Amino acid sequence: MQIKERPIPNAVILELNGDLTYAHRDLFKASVEAVRQKGCRHLILNMAEVRFVDSSGLGLLALVSQNFKLNQGKVSMLRPQSYVREILGLANIPKLIPVFDNEQDAVNGKAQAA
Amino acid sequence: MKPDIPATAPATHAPPSTATILLVDDEPVSRLSMAARLKRMGLRVLEASNGKDGLEILRRERPDLTILDWIIPEMDGPTVCEQVRLDPDILSSQIILMTSHDQPEQIAEGLARGADDFLSKSASKQEILARVQSGLRAASLLQSIERTRDQLREKQEQLEAELRSAAKYMQSLLPVAGEIAPGIQMSWTYRPSLALGGDLFHCTQWSDQSILFYMLDASGHGVAPALRAASLSTFLRPDNLRHYMTTCNPADMLAEANHQYPLTEDGSYFTIWVGCYDCRTRLLSYSTAGHGGALIQRRIGTVEWLTHAHLPLGFEPDSTYESVTIEIEPGDRVLLMSDGIYEAPAATGEIWGPQRLTAALETHRTSPLGTVLPSLMAEAERWHGAPIFPDDAALLGLEFRS
Repeated sequence: MQIKERPIPNAVILELNGDLTYAHRDLFKASVEAVRQKGCRHLILNMAEVRFVDSSGLGLLALVSQNFKLNQGKVSMLRPQSYVREILGLANIPKLIPVFDNEQDAVNGKAQAA
Repeated sequence: MKPDIPATAPATHAPPSTATILLVDDEPVSRLSMAARLKRMGLRVLEASNGKDGLEILRRERPDLTILDWIIPEMDGPTVCEQVRLDPDILSSQIILMTSHDQPEQIAEGLARGADDFLSKSASKQEILARVQSGLRAASLLQSIERTRDQLREKQEQLEAELRSAAKYMQSLLPVAGEIAPGIQMSWTYRPSLALGGDLFHCTQWSDQSILFYMLDASGHGVAPALRAASLSTFLRPDNLRHYMTTCNPADMLAEANHQYPLTEDGSYFTIWVGCYDCRTRLLSYSTAGHGGALIQRRIGTVEWLTHAHLPLGFEPDSTYESVTIEIEPGDRVLLMSDGIYEAPAATGEIWGPQRLTAALETHRTSPLGTVLPSLMAEAERWHGAPIFPDDAALLGLEFRS
C-alpha cells in the first residue's frame, strides 16, 4: 500500500493506494498519526484506489474515527470502490465515517453520498 | 508462560585469555617455536604434525583458532580447510593458513578453499600476534552468534510447543458435529491461517426447546485475537448469559457483549452473528454485529443471506442491536461462515466472493451437509491456489429436518 499526504484548506487528505489490510496496518497507523500530530482536525481518506479492506482495516478505520472524535476532530471518506463500499456498509462504517463522492462536499461535510 | 530469553553477559570482542589454539605443522622446530610464542601470550596450545591428526583434534577439541601449515603430511592445509567447511559441526572454525610461499595466487587459493586468514612463515612476532588476536576476536564473535542462535532456536521450540497447546485448547472449544437436537444436524469445517485462529463458532442447547449458535471472528491474526475469541466464547455460554438475560435473545446478547468487549487500543474487535432457534415454533431469531457470513439455503435450493448492516462489537459503546425472525421449513440449511472463506484471494488479487460461494452452494444442494462444507472449502482453495488462506476460514452448517 502507498499513502500520500495532501494538505488542503481546513483538512488533510490521505490518498490511499492498495489494500487496507492487516499487512499494511503499521503504515496506515503511522500516516494517520503523522497527520494528527500536526494538529489536523479533519482527516479525509481518499479510498478511490483502495481495492480491498479486510476486518483489520475496518478496525483501523473505527479506531481512527474514535481517536479524532476524542480530540473534537472528524474523519471523512472519499469515493470507495463498489466492493469496498459494500464491506464498509455491512459493518455500518458510514455511520462513524461519512462517505462523500467529491472532495468539496467532504470538506464542507454536507450532502452525504453513501 | 516462560520468561523471555535469559539475559546473557554482554558480548565482548576481546579474545578470551584462556583461548585454545591448534597448531598443525610437521616441522618440529618451527612448531615448537610458534607454540612457545603462543603460550607466552597466555594461550592453551594443542599440537599436531599432520593434516589428518589436526582435523581429528579440531573435531574433538573445538579450538578457538587453528593455525595450519600449507604443506603437511597425510592431508595438506587447504584440504583440511575444505573438510572443515563441509562439516556442519565445525564449519565456523577460524583457520589461519601458514606458508613460506606467500604469492598472491597462493593466498587467493588458500582463502578460496576455506581459510579465514593467511600468515607468512617469515612473519614478524608483531604480525603473528596481531593475526592471532584478530582470529580470536572473529572466533569470539562467531561463538557469540552461535550461542544466540541456539538460544533463539530453543525459545522458538518452546513457543511453538505452547502455540500447539493453545491451539489444542481452542479446538476443544469447538462443538462436536452430529445431531445437536432432535431433527437438527450440525457440521463444520475450519482452517486457521496460523496455528492459532481467531474464528470461533458454537452450537449448544439453550433449553430443552431451543438452541443457540454463533460464529465470531476476532480481527487480526495470532495469539491475541485467539485469546480474545476464547474469552468471548466463554461469555457466550448459556450458563453465563443467564446472568444477564432470561430468554435466548440474540440482540440482548450482542448489546451486552458490545459493553464487555470494546475496541482495543490497536483497533481489534469482533464481528459476530448469533442465532436462537425455537424447536417448537420453528422460528429462528438472529442478530449480527458487522458479520456478513450467514445465509439460509431453502429446501428448494434458493439462498438468502441473513445479514444486515450493523457496527461490529465495540465500535460504539451504546450500540443496540435488532433481532430478525424467520421461519424455518423442514429441509432448510443455515450456514455461518467467517469472511476468510469468501474473501480468499486468487493470485490476481480477485477474491472468491459471496456470489461464487452462493453458486457453489447451489451446485452442491443435493449433497449431504457433511460433504457440502468441505466441498465449499475445497472450491475456495482451488480459487486461492493454496491450502492455507490469508485469513482463518470457518464454516458451520445446520440442517433442519422434519
